[in-house]
Amino acid sequence: MIQFEEVTKTYLSGKQEIHALNGIDLTVETGEIYGVIGFSGAGKSSLIRTVNLLERPTTGRVLIHGKDILSLSSSEIRKTRKDIGMIFQHFNLLNSKTVFHNVAMPLLLANTPKNKIKAQVNDLLDFVGLSDQAAKYPDQLSGGQKQRIGIARALATNPSVLLCDEATSALDPQTTQSILELLRRINREYNITILLITHEMGVIREICDKVAVLEAGKVIEKGTVFEVFTNPQQPTTQRFVRSVMNDELPPSLLTQLQDPSRSQSIYRIQFSGASVEEPLMSRISRKFNLDLNVLFGNITELQGEPYGNLIVEFTGSHLEIQKALAEIRSGNVKVEAVQQYAS
Amino acid sequence: MLVDNEQILEALWETIYMTSASFLFSLLIGFPLGILLVITRKGHLLHNESVSKVLNIVINIFRSVPFIILMVAIIPLTRLIVGTSIGTAAAIVPLVFYAGPYIARLIENSLLEVDKGVIEAAQAMGASPIQIIFRFLIPEALSSLVLALTIAIVGLIGASAMAGAIGGGGLGDLAITYGYQRFDTWVMVITVAILVILVQGAQSAGNLLSKQVRRR
Repeated sequence: MIQFEEVTKTYLSGKQEIHALNGIDLTVETGEIYGVIGFSGAGKSSLIRTVNLLERPTTGRVLIHGKDILSLSSSEIRKTRKDIGMIFQHFNLLNSKTVFHNVAMPLLLANTPKNKIKAQVNDLLDFVGLSDQAAKYPDQLSGGQKQRIGIARALATNPSVLLCDEATSALDPQTTQSILELLRRINREYNITILLITHEMGVIREICDKVAVLEAGKVIEKGTVFEVFTNPQQPTTQRFVRSVMNDELPPSLLTQLQDPSRSQSIYRIQFSGASVEEPLMSRISRKFNLDLNVLFGNITELQGEPYGNLIVEFTGSHLEIQKALAEIRSGNVKVEAVQQYAS
Repeated sequence: MLVDNEQILEALWETIYMTSASFLFSLLIGFPLGILLVITRKGHLLHNESVSKVLNIVINIFRSVPFIILMVAIIPLTRLIVGTSIGTAAAIVPLVFYAGPYIARLIENSLLEVDKGVIEAAQAMGASPIQIIFRFLIPEALSSLVLALTIAIVGLIGASAMAGAIGGGGLGDLAITYGYQRFDTWVMVITVAILVILVQGAQSAGNLLSKQVRRR
């Protein structure tokens, strides 16, 4: 478990004080994948570095498994760091050493016996799917392979926590996908708590259980991925959600909606979980004798739960439409008139 | 020609001896200083403003004195260490004072090239400062360090020739006393040619070694 308690970080840039972190309160439960998202300069990178004290908070406390790491001596900090793996955007591998040596490094630092190192490194390389690359050097590998080496290295000391510092930001979408799958496997198979920072909402949607949105050194919104994606409150959060959920109406549709007589019968219907499986549309259509025309929509999966977002035009008697809407609302479904989106 | 082959060979040997001995001692002084210069910098492993400042000033002072002046200026110290201020052994003392700070700067430069991210990764792994220096910084910079030290050796070959001015012996001495003062053009040509070959050889060897240690 990682707990941030009123963590602040202030540093001087010239004569100007920069408040990188502005009172962060956050709890990452054991076994969770927690994502922190924010634009560059929001303080993500400072935040993740306070966990292993690569950056020391100015005030506040950071607790790992209940222990305040700020009170530790430097040798105790080094010991704690061995329990916290970290992977980086630019991998940070030793270019002068082989893949094997890179993965073995944390073990060499701990003076592990040679035969033990060999067995363990081979296991790790096997786990990340690179056992045939052991004798190569980092610059002979692709970005995705390098990150796998970084992951193997981070796991060498059997950590209970893994920090991912923009781990997929330098990778192409396909490679990102495979690295995220690997991270999820690590989380499930070894029950390693993962704290990751990213500026890509896709990463959060893909693997995180919870998310916190960081802006100007503050957590402006946090919750489960499902909550935040289906009901974002802050404008920044909404922007992030839109970047992957794409619930923006196409311009051509927006022009059509300018026609007031039409827009009155257009509604946004958001449904999730079990309500997706129900043939709601056809049932409503039959029951109230309405024609339903889906103008726009998408259905995605969030944390294994389907989540849909449809723009539907209702045609039929006004009274029946109102009845239909009431019936839809009585289920686990959100309905709102679309006018507000048309503006 | 006023000198025979034996004299030339002896001078060559003296040059090699002066260069290698002073290189070795300079390295012993320059290497730790170079590391200290890097790790006491702001934001580095063991940031220490005052150590960093003092070190920089002292190194700059030595670096700003021309070798020919330095040689004469520290004669009392040379006498104290070697017992005499004339001869090959005596030339080594000013050479070390000349090359030590120089090597410190070269080493500093090479080590600064190491990606900050690698150091961060090392810290995140729980490596101690000593482990970071010897298992991360130096191995990552090794190839560049070898090239930097090659520059130092070439510089020392040149400086050792200048040591001839205080009777240090070696090829430079030969060139000055016979080639210059007694107008023997052949001695001049031959000593210069040998110096050129020495420098070429040192540089080629350095390049080769640097390539070999790039990956280990």
